[in-house]
Amino acid sequence: MPEGKYCFRRPLQTEEDILHLLSDTRGTNYYKEMEELEVDTEALKKRLDATCKSRLRTWLDICARCGLCADSCFLYRVNDRNPEQVPSYKVQTTLGEIVRKNGNVDTKFMLHAMEVCWSRCTCCSRCAQYCPHGIDMGQMISYTRGLLYSQGFVPWELKIGSGMHRVYRAQMDVTEEDWVETCEWMAEENEEEYPGLTIPVDVENADIMYTCNAREPKHYPEDVAEAAILFHIAGENWTVPSSGWEQTALCMFAGDWEACKMQVQNVYDAIERLKPKRVVGTECGHAHRASVIEGPYWCGRPDGKPPAPYIHYVEWVAEALRTGKLKIDPAKRIKEPVTLQDSCNYVRNYGLSEITREIISYIVEPGYFVEMAPNKDYNYCCGGGGGFNGVGRYRAQRNKALKTKRDQILATGCKLVIAPCHNCWDAIRDLEEEFEIGIRWTFLKPLLLKMVVIPEHLRPAEEEE
Amino acid sequence: MYEFLTGPMLWVTFTVFIVGCIWRVVRYVRGLSWQLDRVAYRPHFALGARHALKSVFYWLVPFGSRSWREKPGMTILFFAFHIGIVFVPLFLEAHAVVAKQRLGIAWPSMPAGLADGLTIAMLVAGAGLVIRRLALPEVRIITTGYDYLLLAITMAPFVTGLACRMDLPGAEGWLLAHLVTGHLMLLAIPFTKLSHMVLYFCSRAQLGMDFGIKRGGERGRGIVW
Amino acid sequence: MFKKILFATSGSPASDDAARVAFDLAGRYQAALELLHVTGVPTRAYSQVVKDVRTGEEVSVDENYLSCIGDELKSYYERQLAGCAAACTVSIVTGYPHREILRQARSSGADLIIMGASTKGEEGKFYRRGMAGSTLQRVAKAARCPVLSVHRPHASYWGGIGSIVFATDFSKPAESAFAFASKVAQELDAELHLFHTLDIEKGGMGRDMDQDEIEARLIEARKRMYATYGARMPEGFKKWQVEVWEGTPYVEIVKFARERLADLIVLAHHASDPDLEAARIGSTMEQVILRANCPVVSVNHPDKI
Repeated sequence: MPEGKYCFRRPLQTEEDILHLLSDTRGTNYYKEMEELEVDTEALKKRLDATCKSRLRTWLDICARCGLCADSCFLYRVNDRNPEQVPSYKVQTTLGEIVRKNGNVDTKFMLHAMEVCWSRCTCCSRCAQYCPHGIDMGQMISYTRGLLYSQGFVPWELKIGSGMHRVYRAQMDVTEEDWVETCEWMAEENEEEYPGLTIPVDVENADIMYTCNAREPKHYPEDVAEAAILFHIAGENWTVPSSGWEQTALCMFAGDWEACKMQVQNVYDAIERLKPKRVVGTECGHAHRASVIEGPYWCGRPDGKPPAPYIHYVEWVAEALRTGKLKIDPAKRIKEPVTLQDSCNYVRNYGLSEITREIISYIVEPGYFVEMAPNKDYNYCCGGGGGFNGVGRYRAQRNKALKTKRDQILATGCKLVIAPCHNCWDAIRDLEEEFEIGIRWTFLKPLLLKMVVIPEHLRPAEEEE
Repeated sequence: MYEFLTGPMLWVTFTVFIVGCIWRVVRYVRGLSWQLDRVAYRPHFALGARHALKSVFYWLVPFGSRSWREKPGMTILFFAFHIGIVFVPLFLEAHAVVAKQRLGIAWPSMPAGLADGLTIAMLVAGAGLVIRRLALPEVRIITTGYDYLLLAITMAPFVTGLACRMDLPGAEGWLLAHLVTGHLMLLAIPFTKLSHMVLYFCSRAQLGMDFGIKRGGERGRGIVW
Repeated sequence: MFKKILFATSGSPASDDAARVAFDLAGRYQAALELLHVTGVPTRAYSQVVKDVRTGEEVSVDENYLSCIGDELKSYYERQLAGCAAACTVSIVTGYPHREILRQARSSGADLIIMGASTKGEEGKFYRRGMAGSTLQRVAKAARCPVLSVHRPHASYWGGIGSIVFATDFSKPAESAFAFASKVAQELDAELHLFHTLDIEKGGMGRDMDQDEIEARLIEARKRMYATYGARMPEGFKKWQVEVWEGTPYVEIVKFARERLADLIVLAHHASDPDLEAARIGSTMEQVILRANCPVVSVNHPDKI
């Protein structure tokens, strides 16, 4: 069977496509059809010729097979040091094989490669820091995902997620109207407590344009409200775009580079339309990576930068605390052992480790902050990165992967984990559900709201008692 | 035979070796693509270069990178092996003599005792690397025959050279074997994984630039990628 | 009095008492009744998989699943739905319950929310995933309309309301609660008991107040009650009286309601921080709901009264 009813090579382009695939509960038929999905070896070969250049080929060639990457990989460690989890092995048996055979691979191989690429690697790139040759295996697996995606070998949820980006320019079916409506709603819900609170939509030349993760308006718009309140308290001149507000990219996890470009271009268009001085993204790691780190390249921006300075939420928070825009009530600082999750995407892969520590220094009573080990650039993935969290087919593997973070957190002895990243937040929530170690986890926004000093003129009219 | 291998063939080998290596580097650099690699090499060249050099340098210093520090045993094997393999052939007194006699080039050399020590260390380390490949499951699984062949190619000139030095019986034969394996190693470099002799610098520099330019270099941390 | 009632139900016996009030009220006021069931809490990050609130199992959301749940709900309330005078609709959604209830109330412009099952035990576990504080508290805090909840079986008879207790802490939301309570009392010609508790723990700021001080403050509070609410009574409404007791607010409110044979308790949502587990347990409103023998209405905003 060349292509199936549910499983085919072309991406999902319309709402009907998405609904059709969604109707296949858990992708049962999708995966069944995939077993017989033929590989278009010609197309694969062409793609290799066009995109697999010296960097990747050299990496494949000169890998000294020294195994120094093994211990760097949390999946290798957590899976009882199974040699098949050695990063080099994972790359060589997938991308290496495809390149050696010049695309001449079969369905069985592709199914195996899919399993490796989405259940044995979260593309955290920790191994890149341990390879003497400077081989970034995270990048290679990510590239391989692109090859697999182009052939239709991609987990069901990610095929849909990618389609969502193509159709809605958001990772979920949140339309522009939904978004604007949610902004109004959130302002409404909080304006009593914070008089004058608004969520300004489409204001030109603002100091800050804020972008977020579609899950916020969809499931927990409190997060949008909290962001608004904090900007309000800090006295920022800010806005959100009516379109281009969604900065995530599940398509990046899927390897759908075309959709990645469509998605991030939408955000850049908003930047160019509203001309903000800078853009602040929400507490999300992969969103930052998609819109700030990789996005410019997908859109062909030669300087590798977004159209305006684009900072992560933690950068804004640190700055606001440093400059006194946000003041913390010292009495309300955290006075219990607390630890911090470093997100791979903006710490290891963007260098914000010190910024988050700076925030900690303002909001945690000295002596209560406990580092995980390892930490900062060397921290382990939360266990759910790179799309792992969302893929049902690999749930068991994902749950096992969570043990790494569980043990790291247990070793700190903390009951509170600050996780300024949606994906890490999710993974930590899931690990609590899975292993019940009695921890709490939080984004920065709700924490800050509890301890920030609200300036006199922004408080609601004096209440009695 | 000796005449040929230390005369015309030497020129041929050196030419192939050097041109080959240059070709590997040129091909590597030309194959880089800012858009495919997603690194803006040119607009941030200075930043990139700084981190490239840093990356190259710290990985050449024993225990200079976190990876080296975390695996001290491997680090010792690795550096013993590579220091021997690079410095002994370059600065061996006997080689300097040949360079002077056959090629007319004055070449510095190191004391014989040091060369002996480095050679032995290199061979011991080489044996260690082989044992490591066999003993550790995480290395065994990625090791192929090719890896052993390369170890053999690189260690052979040292084994034979050491035999010459120790005046083992059959000196003529050992010398010839040394010459042949030496040529073989040099010729293998551009065409095999041994090309990492130059491509290491390329790959490391590239990753240094990658992290330096887009993944955190601007935020100026003391970290080495 | 009510035109659109949103009844958030678990579709299980836990919501039966609330259901009785919801259908009764809808019938009495010819109000449109919307049944809302939040069936699953999102899990697996961005994917379509939710945790079914009843079974705790992960299920994939699709048309089929939702319509199954819808049918189940319709058959569960078959008798009541058949007897429904005005329009009755059934909505099945997924998401975080408090958020979806608020979303629905906002989009349909409901003027009363009736909350079903308390989110305790297993069920509550998923409701509260990552969101401390109960669904009820969160809804009560943010809803623009009154929120009515029923916890105990014999608390579920609306109608023939002769006695309403309005419990106040003099906060701003309490003004909205008062507006609602007085309006209902006037409309139903019921007695309105304005009640305040002098919180002896908080009032003493960590020390024991002596009896003279307590009594002085009781008198002061009484005066304040008359001053604050007396003037705002609806025209011609006379059936009201004021009482102030000392003690722990929720205990006193429940005792007072029992003594006055209250058929309805109206109060404002009190805790300002629904995030804290401590606030959840200590919340006067939640405690009153758990213990009262009659329906409890929480009103925090003046918009929909």
